[in-house]
Formats: sequence, C-alpha cells, structure tokens
Amino acid sequence: MSAGAEPVASAFAPGGARRDWQTKLVDRGPFLVACVMLAALVAIYGSLREGVFTLEELNIDTAAALTLLLAATGQTIVLLRGGIDLSIGGMISFGTVIAATQFGDFGQTAGWIVAILAIGLGVGAVNGLLISILRLQPFLVTLATWSILSGAALLILPTDGGQLPEAWMSGGNATILGLSTSVWILIVLLVFWAWFRSTRLGITIRATGSNEKSAFLSGVSLTFINVATYGLSGLFAALASLYLTTQTGAGSPTIGKDYILPSVAAAVIGGISLFGGRGGLVGTVIGAFILTIIGNLVFVLSVSSYWQPIVSGVILLIAVLASSLAERSARRSLT
Amino acid sequence: MDLIDASAVSKRYGGIAALSAAEFHAKAGEVHALIGENGAGKSTFIQILAGAVRADAGTILLAGKPYAAANPSAAQAAGISSVFQELSLIPDLTVEENIWFRREPTTPFGTVTRRAIRKQTIDLFERYAIPAARPDQEVRRLNLAERQVIEIAKALARDPRVLILDEATSSLAPRETEWLLALSQKLAAAGKLVIYISHRLQEVRAVASRITIFRNGATVAAHDMNAVGDDQIISEMLGRRLDRLFPERKPTATDRIALRIRGVSAGQRVRDIDLDLREGEVLGVGGLQGHGQRELFQALFGIGKAKGSIELWGRQVSARGPQYSLTGREGIALVPEDRRGQGLLLAKSVRENLTLAVIPRFSRLGILSRRREKALVDEMIEFLRIKAKNPDQPAGTLSGGNQQKVIFGKMLLTEARVLLLYDPTRGVDVGTKGEIFTLMRDLAARGYAILFYSSDLPELVHVADRVAVMRNGTVAGVLEGAAISEDNILKAAMFEPRAAAS
Amino acid sequence: MIPFVSRNRAIILAYLGMIVLLFLTSFFSPGFLAGTHIRTLSVLAAFIGIVALGQTFVIIGGGIDLSVPWVLNCAAILMTLMAKGQNGPLLEAIPLILAAGAAVGALNGAGIALFGVPPIIMTLAVNVILQGAILVYTGGTPQAVAPPLIQFLAVGRIGPLPVVAILWIALAAAASFLLSRTSFGRRLYAVGSSATVAEFSGVPIVRTTVLAYTLSGFTAALAGMLLTGYTAQAYLGMGDPYLFTSIAAVAIGGASILGGSGHYIGTIAGAFVLTILTGLLPALNLSNGALLIVYGVVILITVSLASEAFSDLAAAIRGGFRRQSAPDTARVESP
Repeated sequence: MSAGAEPVASAFAPGGARRDWQTKLVDRGPFLVACVMLAALVAIYGSLREGVFTLEELNIDTAAALTLLLAATGQTIVLLRGGIDLSIGGMISFGTVIAATQFGDFGQTAGWIVAILAIGLGVGAVNGLLISILRLQPFLVTLATWSILSGAALLILPTDGGQLPEAWMSGGNATILGLSTSVWILIVLLVFWAWFRSTRLGITIRATGSNEKSAFLSGVSLTFINVATYGLSGLFAALASLYLTTQTGAGSPTIGKDYILPSVAAAVIGGISLFGGRGGLVGTVIGAFILTIIGNLVFVLSVSSYWQPIVSGVILLIAVLASSLAERSARRSLT
Repeated sequence: MDLIDASAVSKRYGGIAALSAAEFHAKAGEVHALIGENGAGKSTFIQILAGAVRADAGTILLAGKPYAAANPSAAQAAGISSVFQELSLIPDLTVEENIWFRREPTTPFGTVTRRAIRKQTIDLFERYAIPAARPDQEVRRLNLAERQVIEIAKALARDPRVLILDEATSSLAPRETEWLLALSQKLAAAGKLVIYISHRLQEVRAVASRITIFRNGATVAAHDMNAVGDDQIISEMLGRRLDRLFPERKPTATDRIALRIRGVSAGQRVRDIDLDLREGEVLGVGGLQGHGQRELFQALFGIGKAKGSIELWGRQVSARGPQYSLTGREGIALVPEDRRGQGLLLAKSVRENLTLAVIPRFSRLGILSRRREKALVDEMIEFLRIKAKNPDQPAGTLSGGNQQKVIFGKMLLTEARVLLLYDPTRGVDVGTKGEIFTLMRDLAARGYAILFYSSDLPELVHVADRVAVMRNGTVAGVLEGAAISEDNILKAAMFEPRAAAS
Repeated sequence: MIPFVSRNRAIILAYLGMIVLLFLTSFFSPGFLAGTHIRTLSVLAAFIGIVALGQTFVIIGGGIDLSVPWVLNCAAILMTLMAKGQNGPLLEAIPLILAAGAAVGALNGAGIALFGVPPIIMTLAVNVILQGAILVYTGGTPQAVAPPLIQFLAVGRIGPLPVVAILWIALAAAASFLLSRTSFGRRLYAVGSSATVAEFSGVPIVRTTVLAYTLSGFTAALAGMLLTGYTAQAYLGMGDPYLFTSIAAVAIGGASILGGSGHYIGTIAGAFVLTILTGLLPALNLSNGALLIVYGVVILITVSLASEAFSDLAAAIRGGFRRQSAPDTARVESP
C-alpha cells in the first residue's frame, strides 16, 4: 500500500488506492449518458433542419421546455430528498385556472401572482406536514392532494378557457437582448441552483435523501426538511403554472396531469437517483430538453406525432438503465 | 459536583419498560463505562441523553442544571455528542461535509465555504491524530471501520463536554481501537466526560475509571474500576454467576472434507483463497476488519460473483445465489452480518421468518400446509429456546439475542450442514452468546461443518478448532492447536511475512 | 381475537368505511340500496377491483404498476379490432390478448428485478411506449364495437348476479388463495418487506417479482376487454382513470405502498368505497370536481387511520397498552 495522500490510514482495508477518476466517471455516468443523448438528438435535429444552431431556435425550444423544466425543478428537489411529488399536476392546473379567471389589471395580477405562489408553497408545506406528522408515504399523500387540487380547479373552471391579460402574455413571450423571457428565466433558474445547492438547506435536503435516519441523528428536523422540500416543489409548480399561462393563453383544469410523470422522467433522464441524494438540476435541464427535442424531431421527420411517446419511453429506459448500472457499481464498491 | 446526575429516569415503549428508575452519576474528567446485557436499557438511556428519545419520568442534571434534550441538536448544543452504534453519517456527502454537517461555515449569501471546511478538517485530524481517510472522499466509498472513525471525528468536531461512545469499537480493528482508548483517556484528562459503552470487558477495564452496570432497565451498581473484579461485573450484569461463557472444546472433526475451497477470488477484496473445512469442525476466520472476510462469506453463499472452485461434500458447486445454496442437506447456509438488514423481516412474525428459507418443506405444488409449518416452527422454537410470546409475534419486537436465534433457526431448518456464521455474536448479550457457542459446538459434534468469523479475538481463540487469518484478501496463515492465541492471530493479521522476519 | 383485529386493522377499517358510505348514500338518495343499484355498483366496482387485483400483488411485492392504463387500453382496442364485432374471433383474441398483457407485465417485472430499474420508471416507460405504439398502429382513431359475448360478460346477468361480478368473485377467491395459502404469496410478502432479507433467505426474487407484474398485466388486459363490453366500444384514454383508482383502491384497502403488507380482501372494500363515492356525489348534486376532492380526502383519511403514527397516537390517548414496538424500532421518529 502506498503512503500517498492518506495520513495514517495504514491499518485500513486493502484496496485503499481506489481509482478516483474511474469512480467519478461511474458516479457521473447517468448524467454523461444524458449529455451524450442530448448531443446526439441535437446533431440529428441539426442535420435535418436549417437554423437549428441559432438563438432563435434556442428561444423557441426553451419556451417549449420551460414549463416542464420548472415543474421538474421542484420534482428534482423532492427526488433528491428521496420522495416524489404527484401533486404538482394538481397545482399546475389550479394555478392556470386561478390566473385565467382572476388576472386583470396590474394590481390584481400582481396580487394573484403572489397568491398563486403562496398557495403552491402552502400546499407543498401541507404535503410535507402530512408526510412527517402522520408518517405517510409521499406517493399516497401527493396522490391525494393532486386529486384535491384537480377537483378544486374543476370547480373553479369546469372546462378550458378564461383569459389572460395582454401585457401578461406579451411579457411571457418578450425578447430582451436577443434572448426570450424563457431563456432569461432559465438563466435565473441555473443561478438559483448554483446558489441553492451549496446552501445549508440544499445540502441538508440532499443529505436527508441520502440517508434519512443518519440525518435525523445528526440533528436534522425531518418535519422541517419535508415542509421545505415539498413547499419548494409546490412553489415551482406554481411558477410552472404561471409560465404555462403565457404560452397557452388560457386556464385548464386538466392540463397539469401532463406534467407529473414527465417531470419525474426529465429528472431521471438527467441522472437524478430515485433513491435520493444524488444528482443536480443541470441534469434535469438536459432531461427536459431531451424530451422537448424529441418532439421537434418527430415533427421534422414528419412521422406520426404518436412516435413521440415511444421515443421518450425508450430514452427514459436507456437513461434509467445507465443509472441503475451506476447504482450497482456504487453499491458494489461500498463493501 | 457531578457533570451528569440522572435519577429515577424511566421510559416505556407501549407495555414494555425499557428503563425503570435508572440512576447514573458521572463526573467531568473520567471515562465512565456503562455496561449491561442487551435490553438492559443502556441504549435507551444514552438515546435520552443524546436527545433521540425522550424520558417519561425522572430528572437529569447537566452540570447542576435540569437537562432534557428535545432532539439531537438540542443535546449537541448542550455539549453532549454521541457516537451511535447505528451510524449517523450521510453516504452521499464527503468526509468533511459529514464532519461539519449543519455547522458549515457560510458566506453572507448563505452558501458553504469549502476552503474553510477543508482547513477545519485537517486541523481536527491533526489535533486528535485521527487515522482518517481523505477529506474529499464520499462516505459511501468507505468501509465500516473508516466510517466509524469519521463518526468519532464528527462527534469530536463539536468539542463536546460529554462524549458518548456506544459500542464504538465494535467495527474497529485493534489499531484504531487503541487509538480510541488513548483518545478517551486524553479527553478525560482534559476535563471532559467520556461515557463508554461496550460489550468487551477488557477494553472497558483498560479505559474506564468508573463503571455503572444496568440490568433490566435499572441501575444495579456503580464502582470504581480498580475496586471491582470481572466476575463481580459479569454477575451483576447477568444477575447470576455466569457458569462459563465458552463451552468445552472437544475436537469432533472427522477426515471428511465438507467444504473445499480452491483458488476462490471475489470482487476486489478476495484473492485466490484455499481452505478446507472438515465435517465436525469449527474453522475460525480472523484478521483485521475489511480484509475480505465478508466478501469471502458472501461469495461462498453465492452473493456477488466468485471465481475458483468450491466443493461441498465432494461435489463441485457454482455459488450462483442463496436460492441455489440453500438446497437441503448438501447446501450451505449463512448467518449474515446485518441482523436487521439481511437477516430478519422485522415486521413479519417469528413463524414466517423461521420458515422463509424452507417454504418447499411444507408446501406441495406451491400450496402451503400450515400444519406442517407449525410443526417445523414449534420444533425450532423449542430447540433454540427462542423467547417469544407466540410464533405470530413480529420478529422485530424480540430482543437482539432472540432475533439472532430466529436467524439461526431459519438457517438450521434448511438442514444445510455447512454453516457460515459471520460475526454471529455481534451486539448479542452475554447470556445468548454463551448459548450460541454451545450450539455451535453441539452442531459440530453432530457432523455440521462451521466457518466462523468473529470480530472478537477471544471468541475465535476459545471456540474454533483452527483459525484461518486473512490479510489483504488472502489467507495469511492457519493456526492450529496451541498456536491459536490472540497474539498469534494479531501477528498473522498485521505483519507481512517479510516485516515479521526482520 | 385481539391479535386478529390489530393485525388486520387497516382492512377492517376499509370495510367499516364502506358500510358507513353505503348508509350515507342510501340516506341521501333513498332507493340507492335497491337491487338494481347494488348491481350497477358491483359491476363498476368489479372493473376497478379486477385492475386493482394485479396492482395489489405488485404493491405487496414492494413495487407499483403505472403501465395499467395503456395495457388496459391496448387490450380493449386490440380485442375490438380482432373481433370486428363478432363472437367467433374471440376464441383466438381473448387468450392471445391475455397472454400479451401478461407478457408486458413480465417485461416490467424483468426490467425491475433483473436490471434494478425503479418500478415507477420501468412501468411508466412501458406505459408511454404502449400508448405511442397503439396510437401509431390505429392511427389515433380506432373504430370497432365490442362483440356480443363481451357485452354479455360485462353487462349480462346470470340469475340476479351480474356476470362480471361472478367473475370478480372467482378472481377474488383465487387472489386470496394465492396470497394466503401458496408459496408464491408467502414469498411475495417477504420480497415486499425486504428484498435483501428475502435474497439472503434464498427466496427467488426475480421469479416472484416477475410473476407479480405478470399478474398485473394479465388483470389489466382482462379488465380492458371486459370494459369494452360495458362501454360498447373501445376508445383512446379509456384506461387513464384506472391508474388512479387501482392504486387508490389498494391504498384504501389497507396495503402499505412500501410493500410487505395488505391483502386483496382489503382492496375489494377499496374498490367499493371508490365506486360508492361516484354514486354518492351526484345524489348530493356535486360535480366531478367535488368527486376528485372527496377522493383525495378519503385517501388521506384512510391511509392516516391505517398509519403507524395514528395507532401510536391512539395508543397514547388510551394510556398506551397496545403498542409493542421494541425500543430500537422507535429510534427514528421525528420528534
């Protein structure tokens, strides 16, 4: 055994000189697979169509991906915690319905934006409380709150409709310095993540997902962490619903369900472990773009749009196989 | 004045009293051992101190002031740090992130400053001579002993007034154990209180100046360490004099080879092992923690891939998985390391646990016969004297020793006559330990062949017929007869032949 | 007797809830308990119950099957396409489609058990792939009616009993027998409780898991074909509601979503609870939105009542003689 960087570790197990770059590569495997898949998809897309590598295309694709991405950001935080949030579907529907029925002049709109965000945060916090205090499974709790929020949305607006103010719509689709609102939001989102992931809260959420019991013994209040995690998820679902209204121009009491499982898929494709603790938002961004570009490709190839779910499903399977292989190797090296 | 002054502390879990009016008085500047059998209430008591559990009744004074920690962070804020038996490290954080978890130095933006953490970590390692891994390594890549050291480092980083070590040496190799014993005394000399919980009397005697003994949730006695003998401690722990922990060792091995291992390699930790285990023999496997013992046992049982030749009763087998290993009398059975994670379905009944591996024995065409199952279960409960209210009691509600007996029962029911026992007495109370050793010798006398790993040297010395010592994934030597001693095992485990010669 | 009650508390609660709901409904809507109503009720419950049968096995085994909706939908569409409204082709179609459903389930199980893909992702991916595949195959507009035999199975009667209810009773008996009296059932509970312990005990994990998902694919396909008889034809999206209801029925029936506990007997009550609610709300003049809200609330209430935390709480209130968990199992309770 070489006496390298390890201080006094000679009494420790053999095989201490583990290959750093190898283990790192395996750890990052799922993320790298996602990068490769995105690059491949973009390359194919670019070879089939003119003008793929332009700012304009970036603006369009980001706008198409952003609702999913915002929803998936919340989902990412919850997955890192080792949970899952199905209620974002209900929250997105509910948010669009409120926006479509309540937004009016500037004051009203501003007030209701705050209200929608607060509702998202609040519903998420309730999810977190139910999970902690009654020790219920996240899957079931958020399944229930999804149903409740969807029901509430249907009560407010039984069918798609309502109206959004002109200014709101144009704000959501504006171009500033050549970049669309959506790209600016994406940039803000990435900055937020760069900050959030190294805050104590960010580390604690990840740590709690990695091992809940250890985190508790280290003094983490699980109730607080659950409230914060699901609260953030609700908040991002509310943001997603707000952005969505700028794209659809209407409220829909049923649209949210289209984002629940894709949000999980985007995160998983990007290398977030469903077992908690591992992955980051950049992966999720890549996952969301992969799912969006599949749609573009199907359009460009002018095959039946019904191919889109098939391709998405296959990509999801590839990604998750990469993750589970990485997971296995991590577990193997653990012994 | 006592630093910790606990009186009449009680805690009930449902109908069961875990602690009834326990007393504990300890001063600053001492290493205070707390011992008792499993289920004596030690764990509950220190969990109350650590804020993981709340007492139902009683008073605890910390330096004269009433103390009742609502949660672990409150305990830590009051200066009580614990190294739990069940580790509190986060697998996906690095060593340094773990040590400073939730106390990270932050910038005005609320983000954590990595450079400061690194410096603090290195200072900490130097200050306490911590034999540690690299600060930037993720904890899930460390082995049990390394993790245990990081766990201790994490507790030290809080600069506690009271340090609680709960079975902290159970996964440490002798070298780290020595470090920890020396450290404990150094801390005591610096005016701290170290509460030291261990099943290993030798260690306790080496390190502690006071000792408090728990039995059945109550305090039996407290002594100055040098004013009390081992026999007295043990009898106070057990409430009766322990006849003999280790049964008489009569050689029962025949010439028949039950398990022949040739050139077996597995993973990165086991290389090219040759071993013969004979009918009627208890073959001990020793060595420092993490030198391939676990991987060897699991590979023989069919978990993880193995290369090389394995023969059971003269027949070549391919260890493809437990379902191919647990195949009746010609099979091979494992009592695994992790009782709760690998051995038992905690929420399921004693009955279901006992018969889980032998479902074909009481079913035909996939249909179960409850009558035949009951016969098997009753027989095994009686044979092993498993203390359960009835066979339908959830296994998780049994005491540690009885849980281990259920696992033994599960494996014995398979009728496999080659048994792999991986640290079967770890965390088991002294009384059950004795029963387990007696059982092992009985089984050997009946023609079973037993491969037995223990992290406790005296167990190997007193129970095994031969001891194979592992180092760096291979067998460094096999000790027989009078050559089996703690010293020789350690020597074989720690020194390269070259180094030993020089 | 007491151990029987405490062990099966969750299931007993589900039946109590069902009875209370029945009385409530008959109070608000006199005549609800009339024979015809009960019949309709049992037919509707049977569809949920049959889909939830496979789901029960999967959940007891520690998984979840999200591929139910499109397995069901594909079975329905393929059956109508193959039969073309005639009874004759059913002789081939029914066995073929049941086998195909089972095969899809087996594929799910294999991906999960052999490659370690998380159940949520595996079954989700299979679900979207099936959705896309059937859309591509039919071009999005399947037009075919259910043959008379299927209609008879779904809405016909033998004496006073609906045929589908008789079928359900037979399936329920078989499911209960499988769970309680066979080695497969015993092993399934073990795998769901702890896959590691099961593996160390020589339980054939892969076979057990694959079998559970196979069963789920089988029952989803069966329910899909029967459902066309009820709706008279197959249509796209007919399976969508069954994702939610199959999981909800299992959860209300007292199974832990973590696996290892529960029984199909409970799921039956869960199916009835969900069905009675759909009948209760129109009687109260409430809309679909309200139904979703009530669904969510009912799920929350039942899983809360069945949760460990609740029984701890109840025990504490009664002076705590019931709870028997050993000290160390209580180690990680959030404060």
